Amino acid sequence: MASFIERMCLYRVLVLSVFLSITQAVDRSNFKTCDQSAFCSRQRAMKPGQSSYTALLETLELSDSHLTVQLLNNNNKVLLLLELYRLQGNMTRVKINELKPIKPRYEVPDVLITDPPTELMSVLAQDEHRVVLSLGGEDWRLILSAQPFRLDIMEGPQVLLSLNSRGLLAFEQLRIRKDTISHKISSTVGSMWDKIKSVFSSKSQTDTEEAGEKEDTEKHDKEKVSEGEEEEAEEEVDQPGMWEETFKTHADTKPNGPSSISLDFSLPGVEHVYGIPEHADGLKLKNTDGGDPYRLYNLDVFQYELFNPMALYGAVPVLLSHNTHRTMGLFWLNAAETWVDVSSGQGSSEVPQTDVRWISESGIIDVFIMLGPRPNDVFTQYSSLTGTQAFPPLSSLAYHQCRWNYNDQEDVSAVDQGFDEHDIPYDFIWLDIEHTDGKRYFTWDNNKFPQPKDMLQGLLDKRRKMVTIVDPHIKVDSSYKIHTEIRSRGYYIKNKDGGDYEGWCWPGNAGYPDFTNPEMRKWWASMFAYDQYEGSMENLYTWNDMNEPSVFNGPEVTMHKDALHGPWEHRDIHNLYGFYVQMATAEGQIQRSGGLERPFVLTRAFFAGSQRYGAVWTGDNAAEWGHLKMSIPMCLSLGLVGISFCGADVGGFFKTPSAELLVRWYQAGAYQPFFRAHAHLDTPRREPWLFGPDNTALIREAVRQRYTLLPYWYLQFYHAQRTGQPVMRPLWVEYPEDIATFSIDNEFLIGRDLLVHPVTDERSSGVTAYLPGNGEVWYDVHTFQRHDGAQNLSIPVTMSSIPVFQRGGSIICRKNRVRRSSSCMENDPYTLYVALDSQGNAEGEIYIDDGHTFKHKTDKQFIHRRLSFTANSLSSSDLSPDSQFPTASWVEQVNILGAQKPDAVTLTATDGGESSVEFEFDPDTAVLTLRKPGVNAGVNWTLHLR
Amino acid sequence: MFTNCSLGHCHIIVAVVLWSICVDSRKIRGISLSYKRFYRERKSFLCIDGSKMIPFDQVNDDYCDCMDGSDEPGTAACPTGRFYCTNLGYRSHYIPSSRVNDGICDCCDASDEYRSQTPCQNTCRNLGQRERAEVEGQTRVLGERLRLKQLLIEEGVLTWREKQAQLRDLQRVSDDLQTQLDDLRKEEARRKEEADALREREIGARETADNSPTSHYRPESPISVFKELDSNRDGSITVDEVQAKLSPVQDEEHALSEDEAVALLGGAHRVDLSRFEETLWTSLRTGDSVTIKGRRGVPGSLADEDPNIKAAVSAAEKASADLKRVEDAYETVYMEIRDLREKLSIDYGSEREFLFLHDQCFQLKVYEYIYELCPFSQVTQKSASGEVVSLGKWGSWAGPPENPYCQMRYESGEPCWQGPTRNTMVMLICGTETALRSVKEPSKCQYVMELQTPVSCQPALRQRGVHSEL
Repeated sequence: MASFIERMCLYRVLVLSVFLSITQAVDRSNFKTCDQSAFCSRQRAMKPGQSSYTALLETLELSDSHLTVQLLNNNNKVLLLLELYRLQGNMTRVKINELKPIKPRYEVPDVLITDPPTELMSVLAQDEHRVVLSLGGEDWRLILSAQPFRLDIMEGPQVLLSLNSRGLLAFEQLRIRKDTISHKISSTVGSMWDKIKSVFSSKSQTDTEEAGEKEDTEKHDKEKVSEGEEEEAEEEVDQPGMWEETFKTHADTKPNGPSSISLDFSLPGVEHVYGIPEHADGLKLKNTDGGDPYRLYNLDVFQYELFNPMALYGAVPVLLSHNTHRTMGLFWLNAAETWVDVSSGQGSSEVPQTDVRWISESGIIDVFIMLGPRPNDVFTQYSSLTGTQAFPPLSSLAYHQCRWNYNDQEDVSAVDQGFDEHDIPYDFIWLDIEHTDGKRYFTWDNNKFPQPKDMLQGLLDKRRKMVTIVDPHIKVDSSYKIHTEIRSRGYYIKNKDGGDYEGWCWPGNAGYPDFTNPEMRKWWASMFAYDQYEGSMENLYTWNDMNEPSVFNGPEVTMHKDALHGPWEHRDIHNLYGFYVQMATAEGQIQRSGGLERPFVLTRAFFAGSQRYGAVWTGDNAAEWGHLKMSIPMCLSLGLVGISFCGADVGGFFKTPSAELLVRWYQAGAYQPFFRAHAHLDTPRREPWLFGPDNTALIREAVRQRYTLLPYWYLQFYHAQRTGQPVMRPLWVEYPEDIATFSIDNEFLIGRDLLVHPVTDERSSGVTAYLPGNGEVWYDVHTFQRHDGAQNLSIPVTMSSIPVFQRGGSIICRKNRVRRSSSCMENDPYTLYVALDSQGNAEGEIYIDDGHTFKHKTDKQFIHRRLSFTANSLSSSDLSPDSQFPTASWVEQVNILGAQKPDAVTLTATDGGESSVEFEFDPDTAVLTLRKPGVNAGVNWTLHLR
Repeated sequence: MFTNCSLGHCHIIVAVVLWSICVDSRKIRGISLSYKRFYRERKSFLCIDGSKMIPFDQVNDDYCDCMDGSDEPGTAACPTGRFYCTNLGYRSHYIPSSRVNDGICDCCDASDEYRSQTPCQNTCRNLGQRERAEVEGQTRVLGERLRLKQLLIEEGVLTWREKQAQLRDLQRVSDDLQTQLDDLRKEEARRKEEADALREREIGARETADNSPTSHYRPESPISVFKELDSNRDGSITVDEVQAKLSPVQDEEHALSEDEAVALLGGAHRVDLSRFEETLWTSLRTGDSVTIKGRRGVPGSLADEDPNIKAAVSAAEKASADLKRVEDAYETVYMEIRDLREKLSIDYGSEREFLFLHDQCFQLKVYEYIYELCPFSQVTQKSASGEVVSLGKWGSWAGPPENPYCQMRYESGEPCWQGPTRNTMVMLICGTETALRSVKEPSKCQYVMELQTPVSCQPALRQRGVHSEL
């Protein structure tokens, strides 16, 4: 209890110098700036100019699938190999690696779902200066220029994108270290020197700073020596930080030496670029000139700061560019520490231009250019590479109640009871780290949770579920089965000297399983079997936290880069670690049910492709209005790069929200994909009924709105799974030609049809929402008031207001009988909201399946229907005639917004029988309500208004 | 979260069984007998709030017509509706409509799940029997508890009286002591004056006699002796000066060693006037070890010589000692009165029923900690290593206005790391024995305890009752 927790916290602070104070914001000095990162500062010191690379066109080879050509570095004469692929779906892949690296360089596996299918490329023209290739279509071309090397992707006369046009391609080839002495004396003596050096470097870990200084001096000496030893190739001079780097007290031995890569891209005509999450920053990426680049390096940042390009928990190296004509994407497939510079300004001839430069510490250049041209084309293109959002169990789209920590079984039961007493629905209750036996994951604290199955059964009886946390740091304890198994199987990540890597995390000394090893992942997955994870049941799901990985006493609170994953350094795979943890965990959940049930796994760290394994949240935010606001652009940015199942801790993790902030956060969170309240251990309780009856009622209403819309959310995730379209979207995705939408990140769309503008200001009396779409209409979902599109609408608000609008022309299905949990609503009837556009038409869809298994996929057990209102008739027709699913749900009510009063309404059922339907018309709101059509939701029917 | 105490505000509902004059031909699901009158089968149904008239066959047709939900008492159609669990043989109650046919058995008569897959058993009879047995048992136990409560109240009354009597006694003692103090102060002053007067007179006499060179009787003050010994007038007496001026009483010719001189100066090599008074002066006054060379007798003492003065001084000293003794006694009594008053000023409940808790402490071991509650004093937590942490000192009663005595607040305990001070809320619950029942920490450093005691038991009317509709 408290003093124990305190001790733990104190210990946290004492052991971890990083956690200086719980009340202060991020300690920036714990994290590197570009200047403090040797490769970043080295690369960034290089200024735009003539590229030192020449494409040797005489080496050009064109096969069915791709083109290869060698690139020569004119300075050091190192040869690179460029591979160009034209991929199906209007994409181009550019790979650059060393032609003959002295050892292999890391190429990211497991992120691409397949080897992307290629299309034929043909040479349209060639001379000694350039080669022109066809990219299909009539006038899609790729121009490869030889001297200096550059690539231009053209549509007609227009350059869409150029590579290396600023000459910032830099590829540090792997090399043998040339030391001051060894370089001068014979190789035998040299190898002796290597031995001496290795002794020195193993010692250097203990007294790192001194060692670092020494190394530096040596390097300076060496530089002097190497001067004047010019050969045909320009002698490369080692720079500080190439062979060893020290940050704070942490030494990074770099046995492989410098290996970083960099490349620039120019986007003429582009002023808006997005993506490259995760950063606590606005939706539209900012100019990084004069500041630090956006950093992609998965880190456990304590109390992160807003509007900052610092790295956070996850990394998706995908950038989208957008203008009124075209949306494109760049996918930089590299898992090492990466920095992205964005520079917008005027290009040649006063055309706006955005330049983007990527810098990574190791690996190869492997970049996918997604040519759009429309936003949804880019989503399709990207998801064809890395897959789509996993289709989550329906219940996981409902409300989640979390806290660090629910103390014991009695506590869980009391909170569960509290929701029923206050008639607030919830589906999942969560247990944080304190539920375990001494932070040994897969175990339970025997005193506090003596009968976990009884507890889970109690939840199951109410059709509710639980999530327990399972982190990837494993307590080093010879009596802990998980640890001894991993150790004996050799599954731990190794330190640079070959021993098991150990670091500090919640349990104290911990090992980190090597999730990049498929054998390890297989074993990990097997630990979720019901007979392995004792006390688990089918309604228990998983939360992977701290998987950046977080290492309290490591450099930048993460793992040493010279730790080893088999042949690869942690440096190479860092940003992939969390991705693999979630992959293995989700696989475990699938396996435990014999492949039948969909998994639900929440992760904090992520990479490109993480969408395939579950949900992410924006980490340890704070109970501040700024953080509430920031939840919108952070989730929008994730959605743009495929990760749709995103949410922020409702209420804020650190600090204590005011009742007003908590209510507003519930109202906003109810309209974001992953809807979970969470709180830090040090904060007072904040279950929804603890703030007086008025606030309880406001929170209840927000949660209930979420539940009524679950059919719509579920449909959006069905689409996301099939098409890769984001569920929560920036307005510009649906209104790509409306410049006014390009920078909006205080409101968003759910799918196409709901526009949400949460109230995120304290004591707000009104918000101004931009309703897009010239000629479109929008309906307030609460009052059904109709508003024209393409306007800024001032909306007065009270504490109960959640400004949400339904697009005219859409049909949304709700279930208005809100019950204790989403599972209880399974067979409930639907109410249709038909919002007519200015032509009196509307369209929508309905999707129904069992909500939790893969049978929709394996057995085609689902209903997917089109609902269409046109010419005064509303009908339901099958979009997937070869699938089937028996549903008890029926249509209880139809509300037609923007309607006129009919004389009569008749229903034509599947069998052709006609019956009349009662209706009511409210002339004030122009809402026509059809009473109880009563038809089954899975069959054809038509309602005629006469 | 803890503002309401469970007093069992559910009053016994007296079942009024009214056989409606108009007996309905069909049962309207989900309503209580008392509402049956709203659902008499006619052509139409008026929503209970009067907002709308609908055809009667739209009652319980699984579509919500009335804003107040009254047309769908038996289905889940209305968001604001409620369903009446008749629960024959057990307690009737309402559930929200949303719990009808949701696959979870809510009514013990299974009436809420008439169209769901979940097989619900009618458990009302068992529940009713069990509850009746429980209630009977409880009623019996409650009688015992209330008897105990009465005893404790009486005990409290006695204690209160005892304490009041004690206070009065103490007050009386205090008054006596006050009187004595007055007398003794006067007596002391008089004795002192007498002694001083005698001394003055004697000094006057000696001054006259001092003109005789042989006189041994010179009134000497420490200052004059100090000045005499301080040959170099530097404001301090050194070892050298002592050796030069003083000699042993027995042997004036013998010089003092350095060690002896240092010892006389209290271990120092040099003393100022005040140190002199504490050290060498004392030795000179007793006169049995050293003396000033060429001088006889002991400086500064008159008492030895004059029995009158001696008697007066001793009388003054005695008076002073007597005064000190009574002053101490008075102080003790004063403190006792203060403590007692403080104790009596605490609110021990409307009948002082909680007074008996005052000098008691209750312990409970939870996991590795031992918690101790000393009512009206403090709460502590002792860890396995023996470290004791204060979880709060007595603050106030904290129950809701209608029942303030169901909750105690202890505040300002040891501060939490990076947080506020610890505090504890003690919930008082009815039970036979007075004991600590549970300790929880729902939020960090905010503790909640349950203290069971018969004093918190309420008469049966305020307990839950069993009601069954026949």
